[in-house]
Amino acid sequence: MTAYCLHMEQLPPLMAWWRKEYDVYVPVAAEGGHYDFAPWREGTEIAFDYDLAYNTLKRYFLPPSEDLLTFDLASYEAQAVFEDPKQILFGVHPYDVRAVNQLDQLMEAGAPDRNYMARREATVVMAMEPQRVADTAFWSTIGADVVSHGYDLHFTRISPANFMVEVGSVKGEELLLARGPLPAATAGDREAARKAHQKVMDLSRSNRLNFDWRHTPKLMEKGWNAGVWREKAELCLACGSCNVVCPTCYCFNVSEEADETLKTGRRFREWDGCMLVNFATVAGGHNFRTKALERYRHRYMRKGKYISDKIGELGCVGCGRCVRACTARIANPREVFNALWEDQANAD
Amino acid sequence: MAAKPKIAFFDFAGCEGDQLQVANLEEKLLDILEHVEVVSFREVHTGHSDNYDIAFVEGSITRPQDEARLKEIRANAKVLVALGACATIGGVNCIKNFLGRDVYSENVYGTRARWYPTYEARPLKAVVKVDVEIHGCPIDRGEFARIVKEMLLGRVPWLPDYPVCVECKKAGNVCRYHLGRMCLGIITRAGCNACCVTEGAQCWGCRGLAPSANLDAAREVMDQHGFDRKHVQDLMRFFLGDTSAPL
Repeated sequence: MTAYCLHMEQLPPLMAWWRKEYDVYVPVAAEGGHYDFAPWREGTEIAFDYDLAYNTLKRYFLPPSEDLLTFDLASYEAQAVFEDPKQILFGVHPYDVRAVNQLDQLMEAGAPDRNYMARREATVVMAMEPQRVADTAFWSTIGADVVSHGYDLHFTRISPANFMVEVGSVKGEELLLARGPLPAATAGDREAARKAHQKVMDLSRSNRLNFDWRHTPKLMEKGWNAGVWREKAELCLACGSCNVVCPTCYCFNVSEEADETLKTGRRFREWDGCMLVNFATVAGGHNFRTKALERYRHRYMRKGKYISDKIGELGCVGCGRCVRACTARIANPREVFNALWEDQANAD
Repeated sequence: MAAKPKIAFFDFAGCEGDQLQVANLEEKLLDILEHVEVVSFREVHTGHSDNYDIAFVEGSITRPQDEARLKEIRANAKVLVALGACATIGGVNCIKNFLGRDVYSENVYGTRARWYPTYEARPLKAVVKVDVEIHGCPIDRGEFARIVKEMLLGRVPWLPDYPVCVECKKAGNVCRYHLGRMCLGIITRAGCNACCVTEGAQCWGCRGLAPSANLDAAREVMDQHGFDRKHVQDLMRFFLGDTSAPL
């Protein structure tokens, strides 16, 4: 794979160059010692060593609220709305790129979601090897520490002032070389990048799954009546925080609103979540998941089995956002999967 | 639509801040007013009539004589809309409910307390049937406009039934509990777009409990995060004094 070497000082002029055409988002320090993505401006301090972005990057492809149609109440004519701002996401960790790759597959399947795809195609993803690991994260234990595609560039900090940048697409290479040629990465640079990866893997040893993650779908299948569902669901606030911060949750609700003249209106979609009490309420008022236990179990079934049945990978990338977002401290896929594993080991 | 529906605004114990929010809709209000006839709205309009279809009622019921007036409004109106926290959940007026009647009467009216009969504050629904509730202290102008439009179009007005956390996370805020602060967003009905948290405060619960709020879980969360009962109780009584759910 083509790779270049980039000096830290070369980055701000590149960012300024990219910003002429793109909205550039980078990780920065946020309130309370957390990190989040924010628009890059001249002088923005990029948090290269951020552990986890507080909010997910799905908002750049699937915004919390998005118009789909405008319509006329008298003529019943409707006009589709598509928005595709050109944007660069810089410094995306591999597990988050994997989440985007997963959304790509799911949004494309069946009737492709054209609103999502338009935004996705207009977005350049610049991945970055993590330097630190969030205390709630467990991506290294489920094989989400590396990603093979879905990015345009992949940055690894190989020394305090140098990056090795792997090229993932022609577009990425053009953007990287926009201000002039860069030296090709040497064998030594590649070795330094490998070591950087090893170093962060060593940092991520504390939150482990007690089994090979590939067993998870089977485990879920057998665990339908496990005690862990009741035990955790009792404390569920049904606040949907775990859904909303999840990089692979993509459910939305579609609504319509007329404007004040009552002549025209818009159809829009907003994020929804399977942990909300009326998520599964259908026409006629029947709710087919009224109990907290059913909703709680459903979420983990999605992550551990249903998504896997569709595309052959877990619906969880181990980012640890839900673990953090849950004030009741019950949303922890790793704990749930481990509990099911213990259960079944004891039963056998 | 046939004749324009006639609408009227009324107020009981409250600050009229919700009617002010309506007046603050400005241009949007003018568009909405094209579809209705206002017969009574003292914030923006003089005159009054008892002939109306939709009554927007602000404030809570704090005196025995309020009940007769509210019942008359109910009898006149086809649709009664409770406007704002005082009307929908009793709101801050209910703070007095935790004091003895003699104590709050004397605090307010001093030696003339017996001239002014006053009792425990309560929401409109404790006295009459309420058809539509527009929550918040104050109400959200956008939500008011949306609900009025839905009524005008013959739709059933929709209210979020999930906690504020959903909108707070959509807004991208750092959770107050992660900053060591208490917040009632975990049990409060959404619809405000988590405006208080977004502005740096925390949720006070002004939109009332979410219909399915898990209070046992909330108590556990507050305990786990080290908040003492007195602190929790004070916050719960600020807006949620009328609920039977002291944490």
